[in-house]
Order: sequence, then structure tokens, then C-alpha cells
Amino acid sequence: MSELRIKPSKTWVKQSLRLLHHEFRRGELTIIFLAIVLAVGTVFSLTGFSEQIKQAIITNSANTIAADRVLGSSRAIPTEYLDKSDSLSLNVASKILLDSMVFSGDNMLLSELDIISEKYPLRGEFLVKMSLDQEVPTSVSAPKQGTAYVEESILSRLNVKIGGTIEVGVLPLTIAGVIVEIPDRSYRMFVAGPAIFFNIKDIDKTQLIKPGSRVYYQYLFAGERDDIETFETWIKPQLNETQNWYDAKSAKNRLSKVLDSSEKFLSLASMLGIVLAAVAVAVASRRYGQRHQPMVAVFKALGASTSHVKKLYMLHWGLLSLISIIVGLIVGYMLMLAGVSAIESYLSLDESQLTFKPFVTAVITGLLCAIAFAIHPITELISTKPLDVIRGFSQSKLPRFGWHQVIPLLALFALLMLFSRDLIMSLSLLLGGILVSGILLLLGRLIMGAGRSAGAKAGKAWHLALANLKRRANENSVQLVSFTIAIQLLLLITVMKSSIIDEWQAQFPENTPNHYLLNIANEEIAPLQAFAEELNLDNQGFYPIFRGRLSAINGEKTVSVDDDDKGSSTTETDEAKEEEQDKPKERKGAGRELSLTWQEQLPLTNEVVEGQWWQIKETLPQVSMEKGMAERLDIKLGDELTFTIGTDEFTVPVTSIRDVDWKSRQLNFIMIFNEAAVIDIATTSISAWMISDQQKNEVYRFLSQYPTISIMDFGAIMKQLTSMIEQVSIAIELILVLVILAGSLVLVAQVQASMEERERELAILRTLGAKGSLLRNSVLFEFVALGAVAGLMASIAMEIAVFFLQTQVFEMSASFHFSYWLVGIVAGAGFVGIMGMLSCWRLLNMSSLTLIRRTM
Amino acid sequence: MKSNSEAILKVSALTKSVQLEEKTLELLQPVNLTVNTGETLAIVGSSGSGKTTLLSILAGLDLPTSGEVYLKNHPLHQFNEEQRSQVRADHVGFIFQQFLLISSLTALENVMLPAELANLPDAKQQGLALLDAVGLGERAEHYPSQLSGGEQQRVAIARAFITKPDVLFADEPTGNLDTKTGVHIADLLFQLNEKHGTTLVLVTHDPKLAQRCQRQVEMDSGVLKEVKLNNVNQDELPAHMKVG
Repeated sequence: MSELRIKPSKTWVKQSLRLLHHEFRRGELTIIFLAIVLAVGTVFSLTGFSEQIKQAIITNSANTIAADRVLGSSRAIPTEYLDKSDSLSLNVASKILLDSMVFSGDNMLLSELDIISEKYPLRGEFLVKMSLDQEVPTSVSAPKQGTAYVEESILSRLNVKIGGTIEVGVLPLTIAGVIVEIPDRSYRMFVAGPAIFFNIKDIDKTQLIKPGSRVYYQYLFAGERDDIETFETWIKPQLNETQNWYDAKSAKNRLSKVLDSSEKFLSLASMLGIVLAAVAVAVASRRYGQRHQPMVAVFKALGASTSHVKKLYMLHWGLLSLISIIVGLIVGYMLMLAGVSAIESYLSLDESQLTFKPFVTAVITGLLCAIAFAIHPITELISTKPLDVIRGFSQSKLPRFGWHQVIPLLALFALLMLFSRDLIMSLSLLLGGILVSGILLLLGRLIMGAGRSAGAKAGKAWHLALANLKRRANENSVQLVSFTIAIQLLLLITVMKSSIIDEWQAQFPENTPNHYLLNIANEEIAPLQAFAEELNLDNQGFYPIFRGRLSAINGEKTVSVDDDDKGSSTTETDEAKEEEQDKPKERKGAGRELSLTWQEQLPLTNEVVEGQWWQIKETLPQVSMEKGMAERLDIKLGDELTFTIGTDEFTVPVTSIRDVDWKSRQLNFIMIFNEAAVIDIATTSISAWMISDQQKNEVYRFLSQYPTISIMDFGAIMKQLTSMIEQVSIAIELILVLVILAGSLVLVAQVQASMEERERELAILRTLGAKGSLLRNSVLFEFVALGAVAGLMASIAMEIAVFFLQTQVFEMSASFHFSYWLVGIVAGAGFVGIMGMLSCWRLLNMSSLTLIRRTM
Repeated sequence: MKSNSEAILKVSALTKSVQLEEKTLELLQPVNLTVNTGETLAIVGSSGSGKTTLLSILAGLDLPTSGEVYLKNHPLHQFNEEQRSQVRADHVGFIFQQFLLISSLTALENVMLPAELANLPDAKQQGLALLDAVGLGERAEHYPSQLSGGEQQRVAIARAFITKPDVLFADEPTGNLDTKTGVHIADLLFQLNEKHGTTLVLVTHDPKLAQRCQRQVEMDSGVLKEVKLNNVNQDELPAHMKVG
């Protein structure tokens, strides 16, 4: 025979390709294929999608900061700063940011006012269309006095045209053009409204800036590099905690940090889907290994060498992985495009910006899934002995603990690291995940075990179903964990959407204020008071308001701990912070400017817990402090507090500490002075009103006489909050779909893995005379019970999550949502029941004869 | 039926034992056996008597505990797994009780498999010719699951002959078939065997099937003894056929 041998050709390549072709066509590789496609597609689409958004936001927002450096501040800066920059012949422009009501006829709209000086912008282009049909926009600087450039949405929302008039404060402005591009557009999550740009020379005429107004100043500097650096070195040591000095890079860094953390959250949530897909790969590849055992044994018996078999399977598995990864990339790309087109109206996205990151991350994910989760079954398969052709094949080797269980865990960890790039987070997620899965496993086992004894009394089909459920408890536990998590997410979204917000709103008393009136001038108080009395409007009076900083406690200067001042998309440079921290004898401060007020009488919802409230007309200046803040800053009764308001400073003792009910929507203040303390300080006032829907029009019409007063409608804020929750739910729903898909894959993979065993069981039952309906029901009930258990556990998990949301986030009393438990259990039982029946369909429709012939 | 005096299989003092916890189980007592080229040999015996163990060692699927086994002068007892694979690829064919066709390959591809492994030319033509010979020429593109048990075993027989093996090992080839189909399959097996002049070693407990071989040996608790030579006078027993 050996004389017939020819030069060895690549037989293994031919056989491997043939096998791949047939198995693909016969659907034997579908589960593994789908699992890898799902993992790769998910990673590609999510990474690509969030990167597109991030890039769009970063490029759109801070392409330039319209200058080389910017100094942001909540107050006008000292003139010596500007003198210094003049001496270095730097270009300077200024911008004032302010939110205010804008009117046109009967329409009004809360807008962001950008009040700019002539030289704006110093860098980049400010592009405006002078008419809507102008094709190429004009590059402009500040509009002429008496005119404004507005964002296009203003036109429709105020029902005005270019050339029409809008009222900003008490000043009418003619719309001169529509803004196309703002060179230093900042990305802010909650923008008051569309932007209106007008000339800084008009600002006084609007009468909008009053004491206590929330205004943000930006000073833009540009010039020769050396000059800018000289100025930077000079100015940095002088900056205080309300002033931010930044360049384009640090502005961008701050922004990317914010975006990174939201991206991290999204990726980690979707990790769940990917981990499940990996589990599906693991289960499916185990079955793959078992199914191929006879083949390898026959190959070897017929004379194939181990290296032949190894090469054959490496090529087979490699090609399968490659095809799945490629298809996954295509699917992921299409999903990403779909996602991008869905948000195109919100952001202008440039698809050419797609980088290698999503591609690389997705491919690595695919490889990790295909290799790490399959390496053990494949190596076991390759080492199958030829003698097995005679001895028979072991279908279900019990998995022992060994290195092969460590590799998937390492791979899981690698996947987590790949997404979060955070060692501590990955480790805690892995350990937390193992812990949670362990608890769920234990709970599930207990419930399934209890079901087994209950089932014994519940009729034949249930009896059989629950016995099966318990026997396959190991396999079922994985499905249980995945479906529990999926159902919990589903319930959480539903409860959040439909209940929590309503419950939160319902807990406020009837007469809770629903409008805040801001920026009220002192002379406006009397007519407003009269109007409120005439309409019988419930209000809590008028609080004078001014802004200031707690600058020292008992003579020790305070330092900023956390900076959450307005305009916080900007940042102080690190060196400035370090220098500040090096200063001796400093105390923790409030970290921001505070809204301060004075009152003669203790507000109704406040209670003095230490010290005493002052007498009316008391001449000794003093301050009353809120309890929580006093504790945080370690301030005691009698401590001397120094406040800086603009350039003025004054020091007062703490004579009382108050408990404040923050949950009420009343106006609450951390610091309340007596009149004697603040006698020289100019203020505007703020008030909280309860305005019913019927009164709304009348009130608004009346208030339009006072255009500098801003109205904050709590209802509108609630609407914004609700729509935000809607958007978050969309993101969670996407992940939910992913988790359900992955969970179903795991289910189908496991049903397939148990198919031979099920066939044998059914054959035996049939032979013993069991009716078809009994068998069908027992299979159906097995999955229904599994789904119901998952639903029950999900409901418990949902209730725990809701409890934390209610008590910690919404600060309301906890409530139970038993009706949703029913939804969870029914949805779980229904879905898993249907999935299980579908995957056993072929088996259940087999005639007794076929069944018996196949297995006996 | 051709049979020449050249020994193709030679076994001397062959034993096989397995360790079960503290006890050693002797599967094969010292066995001596010689099979000549072209001979047809039936190994009979009850379940658990050791006949399948003997077949595994003769075919190089398993190793003996002690003793020697030569197949075409290759010392299988000294060979490792890979070397034995090569010997099987070059000289051996198999027919199994469970057919053991590869379910994701068509009938033709199953038949071609050993020829490909031995790198023989014209695997496809040979495969088609053999499928024709077993009466399944029309079913070449069918998958095993689309064939009946008898048809599957016919494919397995075609597969066994494609490399024109020197020795064909058959383990209960009709064990999974009904009597009528079993007879047809046996007819086919012997017919092809005669045509190709292959040495056949067949394990069975079907006396009728065993009867069709030139020679029968019986395994009984690991001990091999000669039963009788069909169509041959007992007294004319050649020396190599003495067993014990």
C-alpha cells in the first residue's frame, strides 16, 4: 500500500473546510457563531457609538476656546489683571454669561445670554447667517448695539423672524442674524435654553445685572506665546477659588473626563451582555467538543495523526471565529450607524472620525471569547483516544476544578480591564459579580429545591418538570442569573418611568410652591406682594439674596475642597491647586459661592437646634447656620465666620444652628444673617409661589411687566427630569435587549447541550406509556418554572434597588410595588417558557418510534 | 479464497490487565495467535470475554500489558500512538457495530476519508466506485442521518475498503441490524473481501456469521482457544494455528 503514497498534500485543510461548510449549512455552529457575533457587534457598536458622540462633543464644543487662555469668574476681575495684559500687549475680549427670560409679543423663553465685547472671538470664527437662505455664513464679531444674533430655534419658539424684535430685560433687540457656529461653544448637560449673543455695551440697558444675579464672566486672552506665558506665570498665584484659568487643552481634558466616566458606565453595563455571550460560547463549545468526539476518534482510528487532527480543528475553529468576528464587526457597524442616525438631530456627527479603537476592542473581545472560553473543550477534543471507537464516548464528563476554569476568569477580567481601564473597578466588579452570582445561585437552588417538594403534590407534569429543574440545577443556575438580571432591569425601568416620579411628586403637600421668582428688584417687591395677595397666591415671602464666599473661619483661611461652581466645565490648572494646598493654616471651606440671605424671623420650615434666633432689630451682626454644613465644616456655635462679597469682607459670629427640611420645596438657605450684618449690601430678592394651572396665564401676563424677573417653573423642570429619565431608559433598554438576546443564547445553547439526555428521557417515558401531552407539559412547565423563579428573584432585586433610589436619591419614604412582582414573574415565566418550548420543538414533535429508534 | 502462508498478524504471549483500585483484572491471559495473509478469522465469545480487547490490540488501537504483536512485521507493542496511527492509515480498515459515520459529512465524503488520510490519489472516483459496489451510488450526497441503519453500514463497508487495506477489522458488523439486513451486509462484506483478497478479523457472537469465516477462535474469560476450521480438516492444522 505504501507504494501508492504520494507527496503529502494539505488534506487537513481540505477536510477542515469541508467540515466547516457542512456544519454551517446544517446549523450546527449557529449558537457559537451568534454568541461571538453578539459579543463583537455589541462592543463595536457601543464603543464606536460613544466614541462618535464624544468626538462630536469635543470637536463641536471646544475646538477653540476662542482665545489662547480664558479666565472665568463669577465676579468682574480686578482692573490690575487687565492692566497687566495691556502692558504685555495681549488681545483681550470679554463675555458675560447669564440665563434670563426673553420675550417677543406674548411669547417668552428662558435663554442663555452671551454678552460679548467687540473683539470676540480672538481665535476661531463666529459664523452667522444674515438671512435664512444665505448659503455661506459670514464670520462676524460682536453684533452692533441694539441687535442680536440668535440660535435658529429662537425664531420658531418665540415666533419671530430675522429683523424682528425680542426683549431682553427691558431692552428691545433686533435680530440681525442666525448663529451657525460658536467658536467656544461649551458642552453643558443642562442648558437653560438657546443662545442669544449681543453687545456688551448694551448690558446696562437691559437692567438684568443686579446684586445677587447669577452671572458668569469670561475674559479671553490671546497673543504671542511668550507674552501669554509671562502673563500666565504672573496671574496664576493671584487666582482665588471662584476664578478658573484654562487653555483649550485643559478645557478639553475636563470634558473628556466627564465623557469618559459616562462611557465607562455604558460599557460596564453592556459588559453584562458580553459576559453572557461569552458564557454562551463556553456552553456551546463544550457541546461542540462532545459532539465532535466520535469524529476525532474515527479520524484517529482510521490513521489520522494527532497533529493532523490538531491542525484540522485549529483551522476549523479559527475560521469559525474569524467569520463570526467579521460578521460581528459588520453588524456592530450597522448598529452604530443606526444609533448615530438616531441622534444626528442633536449632534452634528462626522463619520469619518471613526478610529481604530472600537475595531481593536471588538476584535480583542471576539478573540477572547473564541479562545479563552473554548480552549478547554477543544484541547480535550483533540486528545480524544482512538480506542473510544470501541469503548464508546463519555457524553457528560463532570467538570473538575483546574486551570481550565481559571482561564475564562482571567479572560473575563481582561474583558473588564479592556472596558474600564481601571484595575480596582475591574477587580471589584469581578469579585462582586462572582459574589452576586453566588447569592443568586444559592437562592435559586433553594427556590428550585422547594419547588421540587411542592411539585410532588402538584400533578404528574409539574412533578416531572420540577424534578428535571432540580436535577439540572447547575446548568439552570446560569440561565437563572441572566434572566434575573434582565427581568430586574426591565422592572426597574418600568417602575422608574411610571411610579417613582409620580410618587415623589405626590408626596409634596398641596400648597407646595411650584414656581421660583428670581432677580426681583427691591422696588418690585411691593407690587408683587400686592398682586399675590389679590390673587390669594400662597407664597413664602421675599428673601433678599446676594452671593458671597465663606473665606475664613476663626481667622483661618478656607480652601476649596470640591469645585462645583457654575461654569465648571472649566478647570483650574493643577499647579494652582497645588500651590493653594501648600499654604499653611487652612480650613475646609464651602468650596463655592453661596446664595446668602438675611431675615428677621426664623423661616417656617426651619428649626433652631443650637443657640438662639436673634431678636428683631438686634444691632449685633450675627449669622445662623444650617446643621449639615456646620457639621461638614466643623463649625461650632460662637465661631467667627468671615465672608467675602466682591471685594468687601466682614466677620460675624455664629449664634444659632438650624435644622432645615430640604425635602420641602420651600426656599432654604445655609447661611442666614440678621439685618445688622448686611446693612450695606445691595440685594435682589427671590420668592417661591404656588401657582395653579388656572392662574398661570394671569400671573405670567402680570410678570411680563417686569422683564428682568426670571421665572423658574418647577413643572417644566419636572418635565425635563422625566424626559431625562426617558432618555436614560432608552440606553438601559438597549442594554436590556442585549442581555435578553445573550440570555436566550445561553438558554438555547444549554438546551442543545442537554438534547441527547432529554431525548433519552423522553424515549424512556414514551416506552413506559407516557402521553404526548404529559411530556409536552413537563417540558413547558420546566421552563415556565425556571422563568418564574427568575422573575421572583428579579422582583426582589428590583425592590431593593428601588428602595435605595427612593431613600437615597429621591429622599422619600420607601414603598413596595407588588403589582410589578406579578409582571416580573409572569413575564419571566412566559418568555423563558416560550424560548424553552421553541428550542425543544423538534424533540417534542418527534414520533415515539423515531425517538425510541434514535436513542435505544 | 486466497490464503498464503505469509503471516500478516503475529501475536505472542500477549496479556492485558487493568488496575481497579487494589485489584488487578486480567482481561487477556497470555495469548498466541497467527493470522495469514488473505485468511478470514472470526473471534467469538460471550460478552466480557475479552474479544473486543483483543481486536483493539491487534488493530493497534490499544497497547498490550506484555507480549508482542506484529502487524505486517511492524512491532505495534513498541510503537507510540502516532506510529500506530501511521500503520493503521497504511494497512488497516475498520467496520464498527455503531457504523460511526461522521454525521456532518456526506456518504461519499465519509467513504473518501481514509483515502485522504493515507494521501491516496483519486479518492473521489474510488469512493464513487465503492458506493456503486455497495448499491448506494445514487445516495452519495446524502448525510448519514438520511440513511437507514443498513445503508449506513454499507457506507461504512465502502469506507473500509477504499484504502485496499491489508487487514480489515470488523467489530460486530451486523450487531445493530435486523436479521435480514444483517445477512445482506454480511454477504456484501464477504463478497468485497474475496474480491480484494483482504485479511479479515471479525468479532461477533453471531454463530452464523462466524461460520462464514475460514477459521474461528473463541475467547473465554481472556483465554483464547481454536474452535474449528470451517471447510478444513482438523488434522491438517498447520503449526501456526495452534493456539493457547
